[in-house]
Amino acid sequence: MAACQELSFNVDHGYLEGLVRGMKAGILTQADYHNLAQCDTLEDMKLHLQSTDYGKLLSSSEEDLTVSLVDSKLRENLVTEFSCLRSNALPPLSTFLDYITYGYMIDNVVMLITGALKQRDVAELLPRCHPLGGFDQMAAVGIARTPTELYSAILVDTPLAPFFQDAVSDSNLDEMEAEILRNKLYKAYLESFHSFCKNMGGATGEIMCPVLEFEADRRAFIITVNSFGTELSGADRSSLYPACGKLYPDGLRLLALAEDHEQVKAVADCYTDYKAIFEDPEPGSEFKSFEDRFFEQEVKLNILAFLQQFHFGVFYSYIKLKEQESRNIVWIAECVTQRQKSKIHNYIPIIQ
Amino acid sequence: MSGKDRIDIFPSRMAQTIMKARLKGAQTGRNLLKKKSDALSMRFRQILRKIIETKTKMGEVMREAAFSLAEAKFTAGDFSTTVIQNVNKAQVKVRAKKDNVAGVTLPVFEHYQEGGDSYELTGLARGGEQLSRLKRNYARAVELLVELASLQTSFVTLDEAIKITNRRVNAIEHVTHFTHHPIYSVPLWPCLCPPM
Repeated sequence: MAACQELSFNVDHGYLEGLVRGMKAGILTQADYHNLAQCDTLEDMKLHLQSTDYGKLLSSSEEDLTVSLVDSKLRENLVTEFSCLRSNALPPLSTFLDYITYGYMIDNVVMLITGALKQRDVAELLPRCHPLGGFDQMAAVGIARTPTELYSAILVDTPLAPFFQDAVSDSNLDEMEAEILRNKLYKAYLESFHSFCKNMGGATGEIMCPVLEFEADRRAFIITVNSFGTELSGADRSSLYPACGKLYPDGLRLLALAEDHEQVKAVADCYTDYKAIFEDPEPGSEFKSFEDRFFEQEVKLNILAFLQQFHFGVFYSYIKLKEQESRNIVWIAECVTQRQKSKIHNYIPIIQ
Repeated sequence: MSGKDRIDIFPSRMAQTIMKARLKGAQTGRNLLKKKSDALSMRFRQILRKIIETKTKMGEVMREAAFSLAEAKFTAGDFSTTVIQNVNKAQVKVRAKKDNVAGVTLPVFEHYQEGGDSYELTGLARGGEQLSRLKRNYARAVELLVELASLQTSFVTLDEAIKITNRRVNAIEHVTHFTHHPIYSVPLWPCLCPPM
């Protein structure tokens, strides 16, 4: 079966894989980042970006060059690339690409639900939604007045409906805090994505499952650390931990009981992958927050996806790497405009 | 002594006593006003120094706060809509109190916290640490702003009060500055008129 998969992959998906690999070759290198970091104004940065794959992206606009303009142009670029891939995709790649969009859809839906709660005008929320997470019924969101109404009338027809099962059955949707709802939906989404990749098997399963497991464990660690000092108890937060990672079930149980940073570190020490992230840095080296280290690890895993061929992981990794690149460019742009050159090298390098 | 500045007065001893008392009153008044003006000026200079200090600190604090916003956006993504959506009550409020300096009431603003942090769980899955640092930095910026506002209103009020007081001091001085000549030299009629 595996051999057949590789042989027939190119029939349906070869063109798109080639496209993605071509786009991946245009990701900025360390040299590009060095050039950008040495700029003194946004105009210089625009000049440098023109020599990369971004080309005339920033030059074509009429508005003043600000960091938010750069941010929105980069996002537009990513959305165009993704739509090009999605519109040419055949199943099962189309389902896979849809899964990638569900993450953004969850953010949009949570925003619309909080908007419905506060009786805000939907027309002003729609432009702020992430374009990759759009769904057909978005414009109809305005008719619902409460979150439960919103769910039963509209959301139940969207692809996110199965993720709401968990959230809606436990407690009243109206009273749930936005962040709790967001994290519960994301947990259901990750677990669903993970089982989809596992069922696909082959190279896709081999590449995607570790990536998604890492994502699940990373969320568990970060939620734990960020909930110290808030009213979120251990029992509450264990309902937010995705169960598809390496930490399931023992690590997650220990994390739910952890009360301070030391205990979290102790849990991380049991797993070789995560031990390095929580280790104290050597004296003399730059301080990196553990979120930065999680970012770096994520980038490493995503780069590994490109070493194998004939699988869908390259599409997921490309989107994630491109997002990280946008974040890096916006970071450098902010440092340049605010003249805070000391921390300008705190971006996450992608290609050495 | 010029002609138009003279007070027409019947040169009797009683008139002289009355005049001396009036002069004494004017001099005391002028001294009190001068003391008030000095006290106000001293306070004014203190406030001016503090304003300069606070403004320089403000520049630094705002710069740091803006940078921590950039850092938070790098890790946590775009949380602006979440923040705007969840606004309900103010967490930091300002109270106005009165302070008295030499009879001049100055408004003083002080800030106080009320209610819990409604953004406790924002950034739960991403960027929580950066967000709490961001909240701290901007809270410090708001505190400094309230202090600066307080200082600046006091500055304006004091400036007015000092100008008025100085005008009064000058007015009295204009009238009484010739009176370091004693007014014993007025020829007195009773010594010329024989007693009735």
